Amino acid sequence: MLTGGIAATIPRVRSGEISGAMTDDPERFEELVREHQAMVFSMACRYLRNRALAEEIAQDVFLQLYRKLPSLESQDHVVHWLRWVTAHRLIDHSRHEKRRPQSPLEDAPEPASADSMSDADPMLSNMLRELVAGLPENARVVMILRYQEDLDPMDIARALDMPISTVKSHLQRSLALLRDKLSRQKGVGL
Amino acid sequence: MNLEDELRAALRRDNPSPGFAERVVARAQSSARPARAIPRMMWAAAIAALLVIGFSTAYEYREMKAERASRDAVVALRIAADKLNIARERVLRRETPADTREN
Repeated sequence: MLTGGIAATIPRVRSGEISGAMTDDPERFEELVREHQAMVFSMACRYLRNRALAEEIAQDVFLQLYRKLPSLESQDHVVHWLRWVTAHRLIDHSRHEKRRPQSPLEDAPEPASADSMSDADPMLSNMLRELVAGLPENARVVMILRYQEDLDPMDIARALDMPISTVKSHLQRSLALLRDKLSRQKGVGL
Repeated sequence: MNLEDELRAALRRDNPSPGFAERVVARAQSSARPARAIPRMMWAAAIAALLVIGFSTAYEYREMKAERASRDAVVALRIAADKLNIARERVLRRETPADTREN
């Protein structure tokens, strides 16, 4: 279900029309990149646990957006399209990576991010990110969309073109798995 | 905090390295535009080539048909001339009087 044709299956959402001039104006495209870079980069970073690779994939997604802009009708459509393309790009990437041997450098974890600025326990956050990154591909994307993008299961189902029951079951199973692994690894009960 | 809150904190958005947007725009301007222009030029060249081939094929076909028609017309005229000659000879033979034939 997740690997179908990208442009053909994205539902169109109309609100906040995009000006056609945006497609020819580098400054306005740059604004668009700035607006959505955290979303795309973070999805890739949480999924891959590799900042350099995440930036590379995020760049490719935005380049694809640049070519696709004339056919996108609104800001909502852009956001929806970005989530869809990023999710599929990541799943395709990890499936491709499974088929080829990896160098040890590629397995290097991302450096610690801005955890120090929040109330969250940095060690626990790091452990959770690692556990999420170890989930199966589809479950990982579902968890990232749920807890990074704060989408509800219905929106995730729409964003990934996936049945809502599948989304809910991914969420339930992943949460149970994380609880179990956390309690076994660190004796943390959440 | 419960697990879901911890997950929200752990997975919250993070920014790429500084200059990310500028790098994307630079790449978009350097690679995306020519990549878009090349297929358009290729399409135009392919259409032009198809038109030239189509017109020249149609022209040659018409020429060939005209040539064949003129050859057929010449053959038809020759046959008609031969038949006329045979008929003329028969007529001349009948019109010649018997006495002149005897002499």
